Amino acid sequence: MLLSRDSRDPAAAGRLIGCMLVLALAWPIGKVAQVDPAALLDPANLKVAGGFVASFWPLAHDTFFLGLLRDAVLQTLAIATVGTLLALLIAIPLAVGSTAALSVSAIGPAPRAIWRPAVRQAVKALTLFLRGIPELVWALLFVRVFGLGPSAAVLALALTYGGMLAKVFAEILDSVDRGPARAILAAGGSRTAALVYGLLPNAVPELVSYSIYRWECALRAAVVMGLVGAGGMGQLMDQSMKAFNGGEVASILTAFLLLVLAADALSNLLRRWMDAPPDALHKRIVSGWVLALAGALVCVSAWRMIGLDLGALFGAHAGSDIARFLGEFLPPAHDLPLLGKIASGSLETLATSLVGTVLAACLAAVLALPAAGRCGAVLKAITRFALNLLRAVPELVWATITVLAVGLGPFAGALALALHTCGVLGRLYAEALENAPPAGEAALRTSGAPRSLAFLYGALPQVAPQWLAYTLYRWEINIRMAAVMGFVGAGGLGQALYYELSLFRLGNACAIILAMLLLALLVDHASAMLRWRLG
Amino acid sequence: MEILVSDLRLNYGAEQPGLAGVDLRLARGEQVAIIGPSGAGKTSLLRCLATALRASSGTLQLDTRDPWRLGREDLRVLRSRIGTIHQAPPLPPRQRVVTATLAGRLGVWPIWKSLLSLIAPQDIAGARAALQRLDLTDKLFERCDQVSGGQLQRVGIARVLYQAPALILADEPVSALDPALADHTLAVLCDDARQRGATLIASLHAVDLARARFSRIVGVRDGRIAFDKSAGEVSEGDLTALYASERVTPGSPPALTSALPRVSATGLPCC
Repeated sequence: MLLSRDSRDPAAAGRLIGCMLVLALAWPIGKVAQVDPAALLDPANLKVAGGFVASFWPLAHDTFFLGLLRDAVLQTLAIATVGTLLALLIAIPLAVGSTAALSVSAIGPAPRAIWRPAVRQAVKALTLFLRGIPELVWALLFVRVFGLGPSAAVLALALTYGGMLAKVFAEILDSVDRGPARAILAAGGSRTAALVYGLLPNAVPELVSYSIYRWECALRAAVVMGLVGAGGMGQLMDQSMKAFNGGEVASILTAFLLLVLAADALSNLLRRWMDAPPDALHKRIVSGWVLALAGALVCVSAWRMIGLDLGALFGAHAGSDIARFLGEFLPPAHDLPLLGKIASGSLETLATSLVGTVLAACLAAVLALPAAGRCGAVLKAITRFALNLLRAVPELVWATITVLAVGLGPFAGALALALHTCGVLGRLYAEALENAPPAGEAALRTSGAPRSLAFLYGALPQVAPQWLAYTLYRWEINIRMAAVMGFVGAGGLGQALYYELSLFRLGNACAIILAMLLLALLVDHASAMLRWRLG
Repeated sequence: MEILVSDLRLNYGAEQPGLAGVDLRLARGEQVAIIGPSGAGKTSLLRCLATALRASSGTLQLDTRDPWRLGREDLRVLRSRIGTIHQAPPLPPRQRVVTATLAGRLGVWPIWKSLLSLIAPQDIAGARAALQRLDLTDKLFERCDQVSGGQLQRVGIARVLYQAPALILADEPVSALDPALADHTLAVLCDDARQRGATLIASLHAVDLARARFSRIVGVRDGRIAFDKSAGEVSEGDLTALYASERVTPGSPPALTSALPRVSATGLPCC
């Protein structure tokens, strides 16, 4: 077709190249992730996975097993609570150290201070390092130091969540009104005074609210870490899984879902309680003091249950023990065969995360329409329930099932990622759809556009930036998950790390962990760039 | 399109009567301006005519057919012949002007063409022609959030020009434009309707603009037709009665004191 210069679209070339690029990349990425839809329908696989799922019923309910399950549930709760507490201990100094809101040089000309900003940057780098290594990797390491049991999980949570909390706390401190803190600093007040009187009064509700949310996440993480032997329900599940006892697995999954639902409700309740408007304060049934006391009691009993011996951790011997253990990781190995293995593992992990995220986004987009109430109330309730279920089961638990369905390898990992992420994204997509102004779509409907087109032209452009941002954000999370997916046999860097750690080749393990970190940073940058380009 | 409305009633609730029995008859190709104070029911009437709202009672006939008795597909086809210009055009901020304009014919285009047009606009020349009549050619490939409020309102008009419907319903179509541009834009709209024999109903705040551009003027107040006269017959008394307010002290109504059309500040379209 010959287009006159008059009617040429300046964006056409870019779009064409973009489409070609996507098409050209899709094939190799699918190849590396070993995408094989036929494996889903393979009779042998169907028989194994189907038989396993069929053995879920009846749920295991003998007294002995229920006793084990109860202990595991309590242990999981304790791990999450103590882990979050330790994480807070790590996060608070890091956050205060890295926030720019307490910068004295920012309020005006100050005597040349180089080391203060340097400290701030160093603290930021430490935060990045802490949250860059997934808790599961820490857990895998600590299990080898402290043996099977909850101590490894608690410490792993403390380190990773310490980094995460520190970052978000610093962001919250940076985002509240800096006026009061600056006024105190400008009047010659100390940083502590500026923090306590200037920043905290505005930031505390958000800080507490986020900490509660993190506790909820820690609960899930505690279960997942059990899969590598770090105590709690996960460890029990791992044992049942290896014994191929479907009834027990189903019982544990049910208990886990109930626990997650309860934690979700509790955290919602607490946050709503905190968000009560000032004039409703006196109407609260329980006062803040009672809640704080109850919280403290829970923390103390959780602490005693874990029986974490911090003294041993910081004792005279421990120092040298840890130093020796850490010393074995250094220097990271860098022989050629290992580097080749790392390169192929990284590619596989990257491809897994991409395939998983794209699959999840497609599924979520389809499910978001009924979940936003566009196809009636009944379908809305059903899809919401399905999405919640998909979301509640962690990726790694999905992976233990998808590995049965399609065999070992990265495709199982991608499927597991897709299942969990689709639950998360579906809900976010649906919320974005519900919050978007309906006028654009309604206007097209009244000018005769069919439903589907009115949606594509009127509603989708409004929610697309949000959908895209959510998807990219999930991709950043998924690259980290894809890296550890190999612990249960789903390929990628994780599988290599698991292998090296089993052989106690710690130098090699160190190199792989560094590669994981690098990959995660790379994806963070790519995602930020994409968001900036498309934003 | 031929319009017949009789005893149309719309209940929004006790404190806000929507329409309290409206009778109106328009021949094919006729052009009518609707004026009246804020909250009189102008927008409600237009939305009922656009089949965006269903009246509580009364009859509405478009081309002698009751739209609410039509099947789903027939109603869709009927709607594709009705073009609505909104005071604040509901265009997605990140959509490009060309796509927003072409969306006017989604009801007519085959599905594949509409889908393809999302990626590669299918009738750039057509969109350009529609925008050209409103002096917006240079905005063709801009995004909707990159044009000003007045330009966005004209993009909304361009969409309807491109749609070329048999009935144009314009709700405050020029409220965000300066007086000279408002007059010009309204002229473009009236000419377009005249050339194609389309029926045009426009609600306007600016009484002088209505009298200058329309031969027939309908005054709406409290959900009823206050008067329905040719432009020449509308007297100052009619207007005073139409705009008389119980709250503001009686006097000359604001729309009459200014010789220039009033630009409503609150009606600025926001993207």
